[in-house]
Amino acid sequence: MPKVKIPRKSTSVDMTAMCDVAFLLLTFFILTTKFRPQEAVQIDIPASTAQIPIPETDIMMFQISPDGRLFFGLDDQITRLKLLQRLSDHYEITFTPEQTAAFKLIETWGVDIRRLPEFLEMDPTARAAFQQPGLNIDTTGGQSQVEDLILFSRQENNKLRIAIKGDKTTEYRHFDRLIQALQNRKVNKFNLITSAKSAQE
Amino acid sequence: MAEMNTSDSGSHKKGSKKLRTKKMSTRVDLTAMVDLGFLLITFFMLATTMNKPKTMEVNKPAKEKEEVKEPPIKMSKTATLMLGARNKIYAYVSPDEIDATTELQLDSLDYSPTGLRKFIQRRQKEVQEQWGDKDQLFVMIKPLPSSNVKNIVDVLDEMTINDVKRYAILEPNDPIDSLVALQTRQSRK
Repeated sequence: MPKVKIPRKSTSVDMTAMCDVAFLLLTFFILTTKFRPQEAVQIDIPASTAQIPIPETDIMMFQISPDGRLFFGLDDQITRLKLLQRLSDHYEITFTPEQTAAFKLIETWGVDIRRLPEFLEMDPTARAAFQQPGLNIDTTGGQSQVEDLILFSRQENNKLRIAIKGDKTTEYRHFDRLIQALQNRKVNKFNLITSAKSAQE
Repeated sequence: MAEMNTSDSGSHKKGSKKLRTKKMSTRVDLTAMVDLGFLLITFFMLATTMNKPKTMEVNKPAKEKEEVKEPPIKMSKTATLMLGARNKIYAYVSPDEIDATTELQLDSLDYSPTGLRKFIQRRQKEVQEQWGDKDQLFVMIKPLPSSNVKNIVDVLDEMTINDVKRYAILEPNDPIDSLVALQTRQSRK
């Protein structure tokens, strides 16, 4: 009987096409990725059926942690710098160029404005580990730092929209204090940030 | 694709001896590169935030410096929801006129479809029967300090789901509110 010869086939597969696909996808993901900014505090947002996506630019973001600490953030670095200048004039604090540069890069922060220089002086890792006490919302003495922040930011960028990101478990009294401050600055319209959920039938 | 034709033509420089360069395969093993590619894809896929958070617009009535006398709304068109601690809602409909004999029915609801949603739908029906238009219903949302943000979002959401046209977030200043707060042992301020 003649031997049936099975021709030996090479086991190596042409990887070129697969490589192409992989890198195509990789490029897509690199371009679409927007990294989650480092957050001052972990906030678990409530879900709603609201469908309006959050605007990309011109946002003033207030975050309220479960224990009621208030944090502030602007999305635009140029407005941040202008705000710092205004704060420096109004509160008579001088910021060094290094502190200004550090402020420009901070997404959200929550310290008393008078304590900003020492907060900005920290190096980034120490700052991330630092337990921020939250903005000073105290209104005794007829001035409110939160109201000043709202006023100055809006004066520097009048297209700013206000977003409030509150944790599910944040009590209403903390939330109310912020709203009072906003309303004192004639802001009656703001956005609550929620995650998407479908309406249960 | 990754191969090229490497035909060596015209390599006769020195007539006598052919200088033949060794034919090397141009085929490169791409397995490692593919591995790397997929590794990076995995990383970016996990790092990216795909579903963006949504926003819910809230309009508060403007604070007026001087008291503007608004035409009082008929209480029988309203429903009041007081948001309390531990995910409870105290709902009542205050009568048009209050006197000593008035009895108020206070419902304690939760945020489930059978609680709050049913109450709103019932109220819409009642308003529909009484006034001929269910959009006349005015819902007053009065959060007590001990309620939380999720409660407010849920209530506002319920307004959208049930298509309530008129609602407002108010402070619990009404005498009835203080009574309710007292009864449920919750501070009003």
